[in-house]
Amino acid sequence: MYNIYYISAIQLNEFILRLRGRYTVFTPVEKTENYTRETDYSYRKLAAGEQVIFNPYRAVEPLKTFFTRVEEEVCEYFAPSQPVNELEKAVIFGVKSCDIAGHKIQDFVFLEGVEVDTLYRLRRENTLIISGDCTDFKQVCHCLSWEILPYPTWGFDLNLSPLNEGYIVEVGSEKGEALIEEYKEYFIPAKDVQIAGRLAKRESLIDRLRRHLLPQNLVRREDAQRLVKDGYSLDTWQQFMQTCVECGGCNFICDTCHCFLLSDRKGKEGNTKVRAWDACLYANYARVAGGANPLKLRAQRLRFRYTKKFDFFIENLGIPACCGCGRCIEVCPGKIDIREVLKDLAKKLSTKNEKYIPSY
Amino acid sequence: MKNIFRPIEATLEDVISETPNIKTFVLRPKEEFSFRTGQFVELTIPGIGEAPFTPSSDPGNKEKIDITIMKAGRVTSLLHTSPKNISLGIRGPYGKGYPLEKFYGKDVFIVGGGVGLAPLRSLLFSLFAGIDNYNKVVLRYGARSPGDIVYKEQIPKWQKLKKVDIVTTVDVGNAEWTGNVGLITTILKEPPVDLKKAAAIVCGPPIMMKFVTLKLLDLGFKPEDIYLSMEKNMSCGLGKCGHCRLGSFYICKDGPVFTYEQLKDVHDIWD
Repeated sequence: MYNIYYISAIQLNEFILRLRGRYTVFTPVEKTENYTRETDYSYRKLAAGEQVIFNPYRAVEPLKTFFTRVEEEVCEYFAPSQPVNELEKAVIFGVKSCDIAGHKIQDFVFLEGVEVDTLYRLRRENTLIISGDCTDFKQVCHCLSWEILPYPTWGFDLNLSPLNEGYIVEVGSEKGEALIEEYKEYFIPAKDVQIAGRLAKRESLIDRLRRHLLPQNLVRREDAQRLVKDGYSLDTWQQFMQTCVECGGCNFICDTCHCFLLSDRKGKEGNTKVRAWDACLYANYARVAGGANPLKLRAQRLRFRYTKKFDFFIENLGIPACCGCGRCIEVCPGKIDIREVLKDLAKKLSTKNEKYIPSY
Repeated sequence: MKNIFRPIEATLEDVISETPNIKTFVLRPKEEFSFRTGQFVELTIPGIGEAPFTPSSDPGNKEKIDITIMKAGRVTSLLHTSPKNISLGIRGPYGKGYPLEKFYGKDVFIVGGGVGLAPLRSLLFSLFAGIDNYNKVVLRYGARSPGDIVYKEQIPKWQKLKKVDIVTTVDVGNAEWTGNVGLITTILKEPPVDLKKAAAIVCGPPIMMKFVTLKLLDLGFKPEDIYLSMEKNMSCGLGKCGHCRLGSFYICKDGPVFTYEQLKDVHDIWD
C-alpha cells in the first residue's frame, strides 16, 4: 500500500504547472457548445500560467487517444536507416475510473498475447496518469451497472479526490510515489478525518448515481454474455440498426474498441506501414479480396460489435468490453443506445419466471 | 527496438503460371525465415499493400518459399503483373498450423478445392517427408474445370508415391478430360480410410468446406478429427487488429487451422 496525501487546490495548480516543464501535460478544459446542455470537457495541452480545471466526470475523448493514433506510421521498412522515435513524456490529468477500467482492454490487446506492441508499451511507460474521483455524472453515465465504481482504485499513478479547498492524493504506483517524493513540498500526509471525508463524498456520489440508474432497469453484468449469445437471432439487431448511418463514431469514441487496419505507403526513402483505427460498423470492415463480406448487413455488424464486447472479451479476458462511459450513446446520430439494445435483448429473452433485475 | 509490423525483404525469384488466374510466386528471403506447415504470412508489395497467404512449399526448404496466389483483389492483381526479381516483404509466420503429430499412425484424409490445394501442398510435402509416421495419405481434390487444376504436373508424380492415394474431379469437364466429373462430394463416398484412426483436413472455398464437412460428418468422422483451414481478412496477424474474429477466436492466432469441434457452436462460420 502506498501513502495517502493531501494537497491544497492552489498548490495542486502550482504542482501541475511545474510538471509542465518536464512533461507534456494534458488537462481537460470546458467546451462551451453542447446540445445536451451538460458541460463537456476535452483534453488540451496545458499552456503556461493556465488554471488547471478538475473535471467532475470523464472527458469527451477516450483514454486510448493518448496511446494509439487515429492514423500513424508504425514502421518504416526497406529503408537505409530506421529512425528512432523520440517519445514525449506526458502527464494526463483528469482521467476517470471508467477510462481506466476500459483501458484494461487496450492493455490486454497491445501489451499481451502473441507479441507486445513496442510503440504502445513505450507510450504507456512514458505517460503518467493523474486520475480523479467523479464528483458528478452525465445523463449517459452507467459505470455502476458494469460494477465499476465512479472513482478508481487501481490503474493510476496518482488519484485526486476533491475535499474542501484541496484534494486527497492517493498513490497508485511507484512512478506516482517517486513524483510525490520529488515534489514533496506540496504534499502533506492525509489525516484520518480527511480520508473519512473522502469516503463520505464517494458514498454520496454512488448513492446519487444509483438513484439515477435504478429506474433505468439496466441489465446485469453477469447476464450480458448470455444475452448476446442467446439473442443472436433476435430482431433486436435489425431494429436498432435502422437508424445507423455507419459513421463509426461509436467505435472511435469507445474506450475499449481497439480495431485497426494496416496499410502501406511509399515514404521519402523507404516504405511505411500505416496503422489506422478501423470500425466494425463500417461496411468494408470484414470484406475480403474478391468482394465476399461475412458482415454484409448493418445488423450483422451491430451484432458483431456486441458479441465482441460481451462474449469475446468475457471469454478471453473475463471482463466485458464496456465501462459504462456512455460516449457511444452521446456520439450516435442515430440515437442507438447500448443500454437499450441490451435491455431489448433481455426483454425478448425473458420469460415470466426469468426476469432481469439490476443488482447494483 | 523490435517492430512487430516490419516485414523482411524477399526477392521474387520466379513466377510459375498454374492456371489462367493462379500463379506460384517463388521467394528467396534475405533474412532467416521459416514456417510450420499451415501457418500463414503477410506478403507486402512495398509501399502498396499486403495480404495474408499460406505458403505452398515444403517447410523443410529454408532457402525459398512458394506462395500460390489466385488473382482476386487489389494486391493479388498487382502481384500477378509483377516482374521477377523485385523485392517483396514477408511478415510472420503467424498462427498455429497443422498439428502433424496428431496425425501420426493415422490415415490422413485431405480434401481440397481449387486454390485451396496451395496450403495443402505444403502439408503434403511435410507428410511425404515423414511418410513412415502415417498410415496412408489420401487426397481428394476438386477444381471447377480441368484448366483450373493447380500443380498439374506434380499430382501424377505424387500418385506414384507409396502409401499415397489421389483422386481428382472437376465440376465441368472438357473434350480432353477423361477423369471424374462432378462436385468434390461425389468422390468422397466410401473413402479408403479407417474412420477409427483417421484425420480429415479440408481447405477450399467456404461453400466447398461447408458441404465437405457435412459429408465427412455423415461418413462418420468425429468433429475433433476434422481440421478446417479458416480464412478472413487477417490484417495484423497478431490477434490485435480485430478483423479475423470468429466467435471467441481470432483466426490469425488461434488458427488458421481449427477442428470442427472447436467451431461447431460458432455462428456463421461458412460466411
